[in-house]
Amino acid sequence: MSDQADREQNEGIKAVESGAGDTGATGTGTGTGTGTDPARRAFLRSTGASAFGAMLGMTIPFQRNLPAGLIPVALAQDTGQAMMAEKDGLIVLGDRPLNAETPAHLLDDDITPYEHMFIRMNGLVPQNALDSDASGWMLTIDGEVDNPLELSIDDLKSRFETVTRAMVLECGGNGRAFFNPGASGNQWTTGAVGCPEWTGVRLADVLAEAGVRDSAVYTAHYGNDVHLSGDPEKEVISRGVPIDKAMQEDALIAWAMNGADIPALHGFPLRLVIPGYPGSVSQKYLNRITIRDQEHDGAKMTGYSYRLPAYPVAPGTEVPESDMVVMTEMPVKSLVTFPRTGTEVATGEAAEIRGHAWAGNGDVAAMHVSTDFGQTWQEATLEPPPNRFAWQRWRAEVTLPEAGYYEVWARATDANGVSQPATTPGWNPRGYGNNMQHRIALIAV
Amino acid sequence: MRGIAKIALLAGLGLAAGLMPVLAQSRPDPMRMSAMPGAAPSPDDPMQALRTPDPGEGDGPAASEEFGGLPDAPGAEDTYYQCVACHSTEIIKQQRITDARWDDLWQWMVEEQGMYEPDAETKQVILTYLKTHFSSEL
Repeated sequence: MSDQADREQNEGIKAVESGAGDTGATGTGTGTGTGTDPARRAFLRSTGASAFGAMLGMTIPFQRNLPAGLIPVALAQDTGQAMMAEKDGLIVLGDRPLNAETPAHLLDDDITPYEHMFIRMNGLVPQNALDSDASGWMLTIDGEVDNPLELSIDDLKSRFETVTRAMVLECGGNGRAFFNPGASGNQWTTGAVGCPEWTGVRLADVLAEAGVRDSAVYTAHYGNDVHLSGDPEKEVISRGVPIDKAMQEDALIAWAMNGADIPALHGFPLRLVIPGYPGSVSQKYLNRITIRDQEHDGAKMTGYSYRLPAYPVAPGTEVPESDMVVMTEMPVKSLVTFPRTGTEVATGEAAEIRGHAWAGNGDVAAMHVSTDFGQTWQEATLEPPPNRFAWQRWRAEVTLPEAGYYEVWARATDANGVSQPATTPGWNPRGYGNNMQHRIALIAV
Repeated sequence: MRGIAKIALLAGLGLAAGLMPVLAQSRPDPMRMSAMPGAAPSPDDPMQALRTPDPGEGDGPAASEEFGGLPDAPGAEDTYYQCVACHSTEIIKQQRITDARWDDLWQWMVEEQGMYEPDAETKQVILTYLKTHFSSEL
């Protein structure tokens, strides 16, 4: 270890132990310690702890007494973890950032209630959202527009038509857990999806008032969520959509979910809901939409994030970054939400099976189920959606001929005749767009 | 990290770069993938067996309570303190990815996410640990 590095380390440790000063500075030091000597241990500890301090906006006195791995209570609240108590039956994939998905049988409602809505946080929950404090909240519309706008929530409510719609939100990585070889990120299975009812104003109406110029190509969305590193200068996520998608009449700037203020975990006080695209374009904690004259290059627009290879690749292929293109429409998909997988049913008697179907390009055209591993299929009844991009209820009755183990496979078909595959479609490095058929087990007794 | 998959990966790279011919035995074959054992099946949930198989399932080092449940093995401590500055160990424990993806993730975290980059030796220790315990390579 060099003298210089040694000095920096020691200074870092001293600063942390005194509980004073900007201990975050230790995080940029050049530690060259080896093995697990005490100085190195303390240095590593201080690196992590200083980040905790940065997130809390203060140092943590006596932080060196914190058992390793214990997250201070105030910090735990910032992740939104405390609000998990209001959720019911979700499977937590990660606690910081908070990510949790919903088992299929808890998604049976036509309108997904708050307690069953999945959680996808890229960063930490902003303090004003935790406090349910929307005072002074302004939405800026700027960039390639003739009349930049600064709108309060009251302005939105009074100057534009209020619209309420049920619309599916689904994480682009829903189904990632089934790709082989594995793809990095949260290992969502089937539950990063929900269809709450959103109330707000049409994004197209607001953009029309701002006067979108012919030079407009793409939207860029911004919110006030807090980066995991605690660095206030860092964007957590800033994605966008092609201007034509934004100008379609479906997308909303929403302030309410299921008739109440949007909950802190879901984007209080304002969020976008742009259906049919990966959920990440539906910016939470929304405070700015900038219209750009090129494809947006904000956080998680570039590299491998929410991008697919420009051409089909063999599983495990290392695709160069330059060959990755932005993912747009989500594929057609469905879930069996009743009964719960593993349920026993009476042999030789009709049993109701039901669920939802949805598609990134609008409505679903047909729904089929199989109880013989896809060898034969029967058509399910499919209800029309209450509005475009809401999921559609489907129902079928199946009769299992003899006692034993069966699987119900569910397959939706979109308006273009494209249906769900039995296995993972198009392997891609980050595991997006898996719309393989959902299967549940039924035991005939 | 692990031999057989390395060959398959190189073959994949060769294909992607148009470098033919590729060795016959490394020709991609989706049926071979289907013949490989998947994740441990569950009679209660057919989706379980379709999940990404975990090459190290069940036979890896025990979870370390001190280091957020990471496998107790050389590199666990450095990995723990490097990573929890931003996120919990839960996201690490979910990963089963190739070595190349780990290298790319590291670069992404440094360049895009503001991760503090440690000295080269520590970086090597951490990446080796990640590629050993959180790999999709057999």
